[in-house]
Amino acid sequence: MTIKDTTVSRRNFLKMGGVAAGGIAALGALGTGFKAVSAAEARRRLQAETKTAYTACVMCPAECSLAVNVENGVASTIYGNPYAPLNSGVACAKGASGIQMVYNANRIKYPMIRVGERGEGKFKRVSWDEALEFIADKLMQIKKEHGAESIIMDAGDVTDRDPYYYLFRAFGTPHTVEHGAICDTPRRHGPKLMFGGKRVEPDVMRPVLVRQPDGSLKNDYSYRTRLIVYAGWNPFTATRIVYESRGTVEAKLNGAKIIVIDPALSNTATKADQWLPIRPGTDPDLFVAVLRYILENHNDDDPFRRYIDWSFLDYSQGWEEFEAEFKSWWNKKDPVNGLNYFTVEWAAERTGLEAETIAELAHTFGITKPAAWVWGMNGIGHHYNGYVASIIGTALNVITGNMEVPGGAIDTELVKSDKGGNAKGGDFLKREVTRVINGQEVTATVDELHMDWYGKWPAGWDDVVGDYPDRFLNGVKLKYGPFRGHEYPIKAFIIRTGNPVITGSNTDKWIEALTAKDGDEYRVGLVVYIDTPFLETGMYADVVLPEASYLERMSLSDIYPSHQLIYLRDFVIDKMYESKTQYDIMIALAKKLHEKGDPDIKPEDFWERFPSEEDFWNEALKKAPGRAHAGEPLPYPHLPVNYKLYGTPDSLEAGNVTIDDEGKKVVGEYVTAQWLREHHGVAVWPMSWYRFKNGGVLKTDSKKVDFTWDYDLDGNRKGRYAKYNKRIEEAGEAPPGLQDLGWDKYPRTFYWFETRWNPYTNPDYAKYRDEYPFQVISGRIHHAMSGTQMVDWLGRLTAEDLWVPLNDERVVEEMVIGENGPTPTGRKVRIPKNTWCIGVIQMNRVDGEKLGLQTGDLVELETPLGHKTRGKVNLVETIRPGVLRLPFGGGGRFSPGLGKTYDFRDETPNVNALVDPDYHSPIMGMSLYGDMVVKVKKV
Amino acid sequence: MTPDKSSETGLLQTEESRRSFLGKFAGGVFAGLVAPAVAGQVEPAAAAPPSAPAGQLTPVIDLPEAVEGEHPQKRMMEDLRRALQKPVDQRKWAMVIDLRKCVGCNGCTIACITENKLPPGIAYRPVMTETHGTYPHVARRFVPRPCMQCDNPPCVDVCPVHATWKRADGIVAIDYDKCIGCRYCITACPYSARSFDAGYFYSDFEGGERQPYELLPSPEYGEDRVRAEGGSPIGNARKCTFCLHRIERGELPACTLTCMGRATYFGDMSDPKSLVAELIGQPNVMRLKEELGTDPKVFYLT
Repeated sequence: MTIKDTTVSRRNFLKMGGVAAGGIAALGALGTGFKAVSAAEARRRLQAETKTAYTACVMCPAECSLAVNVENGVASTIYGNPYAPLNSGVACAKGASGIQMVYNANRIKYPMIRVGERGEGKFKRVSWDEALEFIADKLMQIKKEHGAESIIMDAGDVTDRDPYYYLFRAFGTPHTVEHGAICDTPRRHGPKLMFGGKRVEPDVMRPVLVRQPDGSLKNDYSYRTRLIVYAGWNPFTATRIVYESRGTVEAKLNGAKIIVIDPALSNTATKADQWLPIRPGTDPDLFVAVLRYILENHNDDDPFRRYIDWSFLDYSQGWEEFEAEFKSWWNKKDPVNGLNYFTVEWAAERTGLEAETIAELAHTFGITKPAAWVWGMNGIGHHYNGYVASIIGTALNVITGNMEVPGGAIDTELVKSDKGGNAKGGDFLKREVTRVINGQEVTATVDELHMDWYGKWPAGWDDVVGDYPDRFLNGVKLKYGPFRGHEYPIKAFIIRTGNPVITGSNTDKWIEALTAKDGDEYRVGLVVYIDTPFLETGMYADVVLPEASYLERMSLSDIYPSHQLIYLRDFVIDKMYESKTQYDIMIALAKKLHEKGDPDIKPEDFWERFPSEEDFWNEALKKAPGRAHAGEPLPYPHLPVNYKLYGTPDSLEAGNVTIDDEGKKVVGEYVTAQWLREHHGVAVWPMSWYRFKNGGVLKTDSKKVDFTWDYDLDGNRKGRYAKYNKRIEEAGEAPPGLQDLGWDKYPRTFYWFETRWNPYTNPDYAKYRDEYPFQVISGRIHHAMSGTQMVDWLGRLTAEDLWVPLNDERVVEEMVIGENGPTPTGRKVRIPKNTWCIGVIQMNRVDGEKLGLQTGDLVELETPLGHKTRGKVNLVETIRPGVLRLPFGGGGRFSPGLGKTYDFRDETPNVNALVDPDYHSPIMGMSLYGDMVVKVKKV
Repeated sequence: MTPDKSSETGLLQTEESRRSFLGKFAGGVFAGLVAPAVAGQVEPAAAAPPSAPAGQLTPVIDLPEAVEGEHPQKRMMEDLRRALQKPVDQRKWAMVIDLRKCVGCNGCTIACITENKLPPGIAYRPVMTETHGTYPHVARRFVPRPCMQCDNPPCVDVCPVHATWKRADGIVAIDYDKCIGCRYCITACPYSARSFDAGYFYSDFEGGERQPYELLPSPEYGEDRVRAEGGSPIGNARKCTFCLHRIERGELPACTLTCMGRATYFGDMSDPKSLVAELIGQPNVMRLKEELGTDPKVFYLT
């Protein structure tokens, strides 16, 4: 590094005197300085070695496109990339502060192997070869003794996971999973059932590149949205759908009304025309009341009551059955409040909102077009019955005619660019393997060994990581499919960029599972932790590997824009310390396994096929954009409709394509990393609307919007639930989640059930109402999930009453992640009072006063199951009484790799200490992060 | 004090001003203390050099042709280029912050810290949160607070050594080599927009070894100073400069560029075609502490 050459060295003694003694002493220093190198010379040298690199962020899952400035090999500033319409040149505090994530004393620097017990955090530095040798030996032994299905590769919270999937699928395990499993699976359920999609978002990403009547392509900046309803969704802070920050405020200034439904005044709610502080866990109750109101009050002949746009019948199937099942509840009385189900009065009792407010909300949504009804992760995804809200939310957008209209709602999963393809290693899952079950040899494919899909969670299509502790402790027994009756233990857990000990359901349960022993041996015999920061799960690892930070590696964006768009994550700076990229690790471990004689790892699949990192990602790019060519205005009028498009925007534009009529695809010149580099890192294909027309981008069996999910189509049983129901019928046994609901299989159409741990809606829990008067929910802070708490800058910014400088004064003995793991530096650091943000418990002022509490008081929260956590209360007006909101991943953090957040672990609350460890949401197995009640005791 | 020290245009003006001030300073070190009003004078426009050739400016972003609106970053970069064609004293830099659009992400705060290489405890552009009302009638808004670049800057008058002054383009600058760290200006600023660099490093709290980003030179005033013990800007007063070093390259200030809600606008308010001139003319415009007569160049839309 040559930066030192530019050091301005002068009057050290005098200036420091000025610092110490104040201004008067410094007067003497005036004008005595000189510069070692002239500033002009320094600047000239610097600019000679300054570059701007385009890449993709990973400070949060929004993965904004970035322009990173690099000076003499050091990343200096991070800005948004204006050429990517997703973030369109902007970046948030997290994005800008990536510098401190990359350059941080708490990075994992070298491979390490555990020397103490799991959890003690004692490691020794080893060479990469030693670490990989250790891992490969264990993997070979486990595969030999138990089969490769006893190994889990959890690629965690960061999406550039393909090399790990590729390697472990090749090795033979069906268990390659990622963050989606613990994110918000119930929230995604409705769009998945009904569209084959995932995330419904408002059409507010601007600009969008649109084909004009004159044939040109132009950037459209218009906002057509008239209404957005955000329920349990806080895009301004949880920036996954990053364009909703600027898009929402721009739409509002262009005339849209914004309604936010949230127990707390989120940052999104601050910009709303109306904030509806709903009781936690009652979003489905509100949604069904809105649907009932719309169905009951719709009138085709009254322009002020014409809520439904019947054209949806043209591109959907099953509505009559759905509607009939929905209406079948209308005359039933709710045992909780004696009112008829789904009426606004019924919903008012449950949600804590006024009946008139609910009716007005329903009317406003029905009459205002274009509009979008959008629901979020914490609000819907974290509850046992979030599925119902997700299904109804999807239906509301469809029947009011808002899907895919300009200014309406878009399922972003259906329209984002495809990627991955063969680089995901999906073909390896179709290989046949043989297992002996009850003395009989059974041969079937690798993916039929999946612990969820053929075990406890047949519809857990995003995997069920929250339930892993149970499988670690008790093993897997397959109940469905060809391997029915096969049992196997989980013997290896490879976790990369994830931290399930804090985020993967109940913290104590995870610790129990990772430390359980059979004799002297840990039950899960191998735990490997791969990441850039050192988080709690790393404390339980046998081997820790340093993964290169996002500025030191290559891969592709994984984003949810309104149309096809992809960008490159590229090498920005040199790899630091001894870190390796995912590709490096894949190849190095593959070579080890090959040397040890594993028959499934073949050179022609690895180093011969992908000699360089770029080759690997170019393979993944062959699938881009990979969507049906659909909608209006048609993106490429010269290309056939409803064919899948592949290739660069310019090759498709120029018509340099091969048209495959049989395969219904158009192939231009494949997008490559080099092509992206030459185009500011970004490929943008044109936007269109009405993309459900003639099937378009829909991914259901019927190529229509499905209101039923197990149906007959041309003599074949189709629909998203059909294949699971077939398995259940063959086995004659329903999975545990359905048994909890009293169901024998997945319903054909609309269903309703109550959430858990809610004394206000579920009679089973009414008894807890008085003794445990607070519902607990979580909220986001500027830190993304649990992995950025060591970033000093973010520790100094308050967020939503959850992350505030309420620290007491402390002198702490500093810890950093040294070559042997967590290491005291011997330095004492003083952290003055009220200078550092800590996670707190957000509580309504009136509730606090009733308990005799003041802001800053330390309290203990305890659940009926006896789980506890403690933290300081923050008494505010910004939350519904009876509700406590805690930061997700923002407290009780006991990894020494977390800087000052670690130093305050004893007075900050871990919301996941409170989660019910044994129940998971019944269909997809999501942890019940948002369903719990507590009592509060002053400490 | 070599004239080639700074790159182009306005930064040279800094030099000129400094030279003049030095002359004044030599004339009577204590005179400034007795008659502080002298220090408040703006340097004559004659000191303004001609503009830099456009070729040295960062190119405007090259986006597809727009319909129904335009990319504000592109528009503002074009505004900047027009302003930079004019002599420095004919530019009047102004910032407009639309509070209706600020989403409270604090992106500006951090982007500014990284751009200007600020130490722990200093943020040139914090975002203040104001909450009013009683549940359920609660309102909250976010108010970013850069330096107001006052036309009548109270901080300038109190400086005993004339280390801070208002440039011809309206930006209030500090000469770190002259600043003695007395902090009078910090007290005088009614917006708390000035901070004292007490010499801390982030790594002081994390292992003690300097991280590479802490050793990068700060581009402030085009001087590229590396913060090191004993050297300026440690021991100096520091403040927002509207990213003078960026705007004179034709780039937007860090806060304006990064703003998630697109709430921040920047440009030459003396140019009627500029976006900021357009916004300042709106009926919902206000400024902070207008009654003090500071005449801030930061305008808020409410």
